[in-house]
Amino acid sequence: MATRRAFLSGLAALALPKPGWAAVGSPHCLAAGKTAERYVLHGLSADGHSLFAIDLPGRGHAAAAHPHRPLAVAFARRPGTFAIVLDCMTGAEQYQLTPPAGRQFNGHGVFSADGRVLYTSEVIAETSQGRIGIWEAEDFQRVGEWSSGGIGPHDLKRQADGGLIVANGGIATDPADRSKLNIATMRPNLTRLSPAGEITAQAELPPALWQNSIRHLALAPDGTVAFAMQWEGDPAEPVPLLGLWQIGTPPQLCPPPEAEAFRMQGYAGSVAISGSGQIALTSPRGGVVMIHAQNGAHLATHARADVCGVTALGSGFLLSDGSGALWSLEDQQLSPLTVGDTHWDNHIVPLA
Amino acid sequence: MVKHLAFVFALLAAPVHADVADVVADHILPGYAAFAQATADLDRQAAASCTADTLRPAFQTAFDAWMAVQHLHLGPVEEAGRGLAIAFWPDPKGLGRKAQLGLMQGDPAKLTPEAFADQSVAARGLTGLERLLYPTTPWPADPCPLIRATTADLARLADEVQGGWTSGFADQLLTAGAQGNTRYLSKAEARQALFTVLVTGLAQLHDQRLGRPMGTFDRPTPERAEARASGRSLRNVLLSLQALRALATSLTEPAPQTQAALGHAIALAQNLDDPVFAGIATPTGRLKVEVLQQAVEQARQAALAEIGPALGVGIGFNALDGD
Repeated sequence: MATRRAFLSGLAALALPKPGWAAVGSPHCLAAGKTAERYVLHGLSADGHSLFAIDLPGRGHAAAAHPHRPLAVAFARRPGTFAIVLDCMTGAEQYQLTPPAGRQFNGHGVFSADGRVLYTSEVIAETSQGRIGIWEAEDFQRVGEWSSGGIGPHDLKRQADGGLIVANGGIATDPADRSKLNIATMRPNLTRLSPAGEITAQAELPPALWQNSIRHLALAPDGTVAFAMQWEGDPAEPVPLLGLWQIGTPPQLCPPPEAEAFRMQGYAGSVAISGSGQIALTSPRGGVVMIHAQNGAHLATHARADVCGVTALGSGFLLSDGSGALWSLEDQQLSPLTVGDTHWDNHIVPLA
Repeated sequence: MVKHLAFVFALLAAPVHADVADVVADHILPGYAAFAQATADLDRQAAASCTADTLRPAFQTAFDAWMAVQHLHLGPVEEAGRGLAIAFWPDPKGLGRKAQLGLMQGDPAKLTPEAFADQSVAARGLTGLERLLYPTTPWPADPCPLIRATTADLARLADEVQGGWTSGFADQLLTAGAQGNTRYLSKAEARQALFTVLVTGLAQLHDQRLGRPMGTFDRPTPERAEARASGRSLRNVLLSLQALRALATSLTEPAPQTQAALGHAIALAQNLDDPVFAGIATPTGRLKVEVLQQAVEQARQAALAEIGPALGVGIGFNALDGD
């Protein structure tokens, strides 16, 4: 029976060839998590409520959100041999992406600004040499790949001009069991790729910090790259876990004061930049989120067990933790938005 | 009065089981009170006389008291770097001694209580004091002013930590889940915080206190043992195990597998005749410490398998899963 609602939505479908994110409630961001034994991808409102929830086949990771259409790409856990494209209106798995033989997804992906292309961080399984996979985003066919400019690329972000910033974490992993193979000789870098895939800039850390894997990124409107690191060296050494990179200059490291230097336990899980330019760096291991000023100076440390996901929320931040709470952090005040039974995964993906 | 008694009886009638309130009342608050007392005594003695021989017993007592609480990585001790300033170890680059040399030969104004509180955490606390009272290389100047600054700072830190617990943080743990408590949103979160302390305390024992002197089979590094100069390396392991057993007992009863595993590790530590792990340099001595290390890991596994489910909590969803 044709209901009024179905009729109207059919009409809407005729008028609009491609529905937008408004069709699923205009979520502020996407976040994956685990509820009881189910793995789920949620669309979240700015006040921390779920607008939709889609079952995932396994622990999902770092979904990429299409800039216009309500499509999300969820990656399998590393080493990943598939990613799925989800229709957030119906919950249907629209496409499954499989990298070419000998390649593995390495955790993150991002769409081009016009939504026509999806870029994925990948490695050559045998060597961990980094690749950026290129997929057209109509039927999600593989159309090519670029070098990522390093070993073990993880996060990647799109610049306003269409270039890509890649965090080449430097860690070579065993293709079968993800064990780390080159900790003694690792050498991470930040790489900037032009819209055509040429490497136009690279930056490395000082040699004493080569065991500091550069893994996650956030871009400021002025082009500054905030990068979050994970220390693979001696845990007794206090090392900076946040850096800022103005492309074309050496990266600037942003250590917290000595008294706070071990609170992140050498591990930054996510990084985000707020509308006011502040930077949030989370550590689920240390159970803290550190707030830094736009110039990198440490401003505050807030304790919250297993906090990891973070994205901008106005001039502050929206944070998620493994216990099921979503938080707002505004004016140095960490306040719970919602508390539920979903253990939130490492990242919150903003809709841009 | 009658009403009051009825309330007490209602509490008594409730099923007896160890939980967060027991940990706070029986383990945490008495532990910090004893540490505050021991550091105050040490400071008083240092004010009277600062010869190393005189102060060593009070130093040992204060370090013992710290070992009963040092695993409690939550609340006031985590703030303002207090825990690091109380005991800064490991210090692979020797930052502490370098900073102490600077303080000893520099402006005496840096030794006033206010100024000293801002000096490097590596230079202060029990580890700093150990270098002054049990010097392995002679100091170039009279250590007395630095000894007194360090004991005063230590007593202040212990007092602040104790005060932080009694004037707020204990209530936050105990009222977990109550309206307005944004630190612990449910009783389960408070249980999880203490469970995490237990499990990470055992991991730290395994990886740091035992792991650092172990080094590798080809290159053992007994010189990296904690509190070697004061002869406390093994004692710290034993006291830490006993403190973690006390925590486990207050947190969950019964937990027979965890208690058995901790009891086994404690017995191994008690029977190990190797106070600063010098034996690690020999194959037989190394094997003995390795057996102890394995027993600590078994205790951690037992706690994960037994106490976590009993409390209805686990270790963090993200904390365990590197990405």
